[in-house]
Amino acid sequence: MRPLHRWVWSDGDRRLRKLLTFAEVETDGGRDILRAAEVTPDPLLRRLYLEHAIDELRHGEMFRDRGAALVRARRTTRPVLLDGNPLPGGHGLDDLAIEGEPDHRLLAFLHVAEKSAAGRFAVYRELVGDDPPTQEIFEKILRDEVFHMNYTYTQLTRVSPEAYRRHVWHARAKRLWHRYLRAAAAIAGVFGNTLLRVIYFVALPPFVWFARRAERHEPAGFIPIEPTRGERSPRSQY
Amino acid sequence: MKILGISAHYHDSAAALVIDGVPVCAVQEERLSRRKNDAGFPLRAIEWCLASAGTEPAGLDAVVFYERPMLKFDRILTSTLRAFPRSWRSFPHAMKNTLGEKVWVRGIISGQLGIPPQKILFTDHHASHAAAAFLTAPTRRAAILTADGVGEWATLTVGDGERRADGTTHITLRREVRFPHSLGLLYSTFTAWLGFKVNEDEYKVMGLAAYGSPTMLDEVRRLIRPLPDGAFALAPEFFEFQTTAERSYSAKFVDLFGPARHPYDAIDLDSAQGRRFADCAASVQRVLEDTLVGIAARLRRETGLDDLCFGGGVALNGVANARLLADSGFERVFVPPSPGDAGCAIGAALYADRIYFGNPDRDVPDHPFWGPVADAAHLARAAREDGQHVEELPNAVLIDRVAADLSAGRIVGWMEGACEFGPRALGHRSLLAAPHDAAIRDRLNRDIKRREEFRPFAPVVPAESADRFFDLPSGAARLGRYMSGVFPVRPEWRSRLAAVTHVDGSARVQVLERGMAPRLHELLEAYGRRTGVPVLLNTSFNVAGEPIVTQALEGYLTFRRCGIDVLVAGPTVVTKRAASASLKESREWSSSSVAASTVA
Repeated sequence: MRPLHRWVWSDGDRRLRKLLTFAEVETDGGRDILRAAEVTPDPLLRRLYLEHAIDELRHGEMFRDRGAALVRARRTTRPVLLDGNPLPGGHGLDDLAIEGEPDHRLLAFLHVAEKSAAGRFAVYRELVGDDPPTQEIFEKILRDEVFHMNYTYTQLTRVSPEAYRRHVWHARAKRLWHRYLRAAAAIAGVFGNTLLRVIYFVALPPFVWFARRAERHEPAGFIPIEPTRGERSPRSQY
Repeated sequence: MKILGISAHYHDSAAALVIDGVPVCAVQEERLSRRKNDAGFPLRAIEWCLASAGTEPAGLDAVVFYERPMLKFDRILTSTLRAFPRSWRSFPHAMKNTLGEKVWVRGIISGQLGIPPQKILFTDHHASHAAAAFLTAPTRRAAILTADGVGEWATLTVGDGERRADGTTHITLRREVRFPHSLGLLYSTFTAWLGFKVNEDEYKVMGLAAYGSPTMLDEVRRLIRPLPDGAFALAPEFFEFQTTAERSYSAKFVDLFGPARHPYDAIDLDSAQGRRFADCAASVQRVLEDTLVGIAARLRRETGLDDLCFGGGVALNGVANARLLADSGFERVFVPPSPGDAGCAIGAALYADRIYFGNPDRDVPDHPFWGPVADAAHLARAAREDGQHVEELPNAVLIDRVAADLSAGRIVGWMEGACEFGPRALGHRSLLAAPHDAAIRDRLNRDIKRREEFRPFAPVVPAESADRFFDLPSGAARLGRYMSGVFPVRPEWRSRLAAVTHVDGSARVQVLERGMAPRLHELLEAYGRRTGVPVLLNTSFNVAGEPIVTQALEGYLTFRRCGIDVLVAGPTVVTKRAASASLKESREWSSSSVAASTVA
C-alpha cells in the first residue's frame, strides 16, 4: 500500500482532501466514543472513554485547522472538498452501534481500529516529510494512539479476562467483513448509477416534453388550493 | 385517542404523541441518537414517546406522517425532467434516495412498529406546519402563514384557522406558492454561497446580516420578482435547485454576486470581501423581510384578523418575525417553539386529531418542554465516582449560590426537568452566564461553543422586567416567549448587556414568565438582586456540531470536557475541580506495552 499512500500524499489537493476527511472521521469517532462514555455503567471506562473522545475531537480540530491553513495557502478553487470518502470507517466507528453494545465488544473494536489507524498514521508521518506542520500533527496523534491502544487492551483483559483474545479476533473479522460490505456497496453503487443514467437518457426524454409543457401552463404567483384537496383520504400518499 | 406524529427523512426527524387531543411528549431524534440534524427514521424518538406514555404500538389509534411521500416524489421527478439534461448528475442520487426509502414510508412505519397499514395516515407538509403553528397557539381565530424551503410542491401557504365554540376546529389553507419559487430556498441559496451548511446554518446568515448594509438590494431583487397578487417568483436562471442541494446557485448568480466563500475561509469583516459577504447577507435578509411583510399585510387586510400564526422553517428567522409584528398590521404573531420540520410531528398528530377524526378542541399547554427528563441522581452519582465536588442543596440555597457564581463570571450548565422540543434552549438545557461582559461572551465562544465571532448570544429576562432593558413593542413578549423575535436593547443598557447585544444593538431576547420555567425565573430574580440587572446570557447547552444535551450524563460529560464551571440539575450542583492528573499519565497504559511496535 505504500506506493498508493505516496501517490495520495504527493499531490496538494489530494493531501488537503485527505486531511479534511480525517477531520470529519476523527470528529465522528470522537462523538461515538463520547456516546460510549455516556452509556457505559463502568466508572473507570467512562473516564477513559472521555479522555479518548477528547483526544479524537482534538485530532479532528488539528486536521481541520491544518486543512483550513492549506486552503488559505493554496487558494484551491475546488468548491467541495469532502465529495466522496476514500477512507475506511466513513462515519465514526464503522457505523458501530454504541448503545446496546457490551463494553468488551467496544474495547476490542477500539483496540483493533486504533492499532490499524496508528500503523497507517506512522506511514503518513514519513510520507509528509516535506510538510513539517502536517508531520507534527501525525507525531502528536501517534503519541495519543499509544495510550488508546494500551488502555483498550488492558481494559479488555480486565472486563473479559477469560475471552479477551477471542474478542480481538472477532473484532478483526468484523472489520474485514465491514470492508467487504463497503467494497460491495461501492461496486453496487457504480452499477446502480450507471443503470439509472442509462434510464435517464433512454427512458426519460419522451416525458421531458410533457413536463416542460405543463410548466409553461403553470400560473405564476399564488395558486388557489381547491377545497377538494381537504377531502382526500388521509390514507392517500398523493 | 392516541395519535403518534412522525416527521422524518428530510432533516431533523422527530416523533410526538398526542393523547386525547393534548400532546404528552415529543422529541427530536437527534436528542437521542446524538447525531445533529438526524434525518433517519425516528425509531428512538418513537420508542421514547411510547415508553414515557406507558403505551405500546398496538395501543395507538393512528400514526400520522407529516407529508405525502408520493406527492413529494412527483415533484422531485418532475423537477428532474424539467431540468433535463442538466440534472443527469443528480438523478441517480435523487432516485436512490427517494425510491430506496422515502416513498416506502407506510411499509417502514408498519414494519418498524408492527401496526396495520390502515392505521397510517398522511397530512400535507404545510398543513402540518399550519397545525403546529395554529393549534398550539393560545388563540381562537387567526390568519395562518407557512413558509419553508419546500414541502411536497408548496413552499408558502396562506389561510386561516378557527377553534369554534362548538368544539370543532377548522384550518383552511387558501392559496400556495409552489416550487421552485421559494423564500426558504432563496435564503438557503445565499447560505450555500456564503459557505455555510444548507438547512442548518441559515441563522448564521441572519447573524452576519447585522454587520452589513443592504447595499445589494437591486441585485437580490433581480432574483425575486414581486407579483401583482402579492406573491413572488424566483428568476430560474440564477438557481440550480435540480442539480445539487448543496450548491443551489448558478454561474449567473456568481456573475452577479461574485465568487462564493470557501467554507474553510474565515469571514474577515475588515476586508472588502468580508464586507461584501455581510452586505449580501443584509440584502437578502431585507428582501426576505419585505416579501413576508407584504404577504402578511395583504393577509391581514383579507382576513381582518388580529392574530397571525406563522410556521415553517422561515419562521426561525427572528428578525423577520419582529418585522412581521411591526409592519404587517397583525397585533400578535405566534411562532411555535419548533416551527421547522421537527415541529411537524406535533402538527401532524394534532391535525389528525382535530381535522381527520373531528375530535373536540382542547387547549394545548403553552410550553416547549416535551422531551426526556434530566435525572439529577445520575449526575450526582457519576460526578462523585469521578471525584468531582458535588453538593445537593435546598432550592433557596442553590439559587443564591448559582446567582453568586454567575455574578462572579462563572459559566453555568443548567438542566431542569424535561428538555425543550425545538432548536432553542429555553431554560431547561441552557448554558447561563453574566450578560454584562463581552469577555465572557468571548470565553464562551473560545472554550465551549466555538462559534463564529459574528454570531450573537441571546439574553433571558423575566417578563416583569423585560421592558426596562429591551424596547419591546406590543406583542413582542409573545414572540420572546420562545426566543422567536429580535428586538432592540435599550441604548442606555447596551454597554451593561454587552455580551448579549448584537452589533446592531439588538438581541434575540427570551421573555420568561414565571409559570414557564419557575426555577430559572427565580434565578434571574436572585441574580437581579445581586447585580441590579435580572438578565442572563442564555445559550443552548451543547458544543458546536452536537445536539443540545438531553440526559444528565450528557450534560456532565460536556461539562467535563469544556470550560463550563458549574453544572446544575435539580438539587445537584457540581463544581469543576482544578484539573487533576490525566489518566494518560497516571496509569500503566502510558507505557507502550502493546503499541510500541506499531508506532515506532
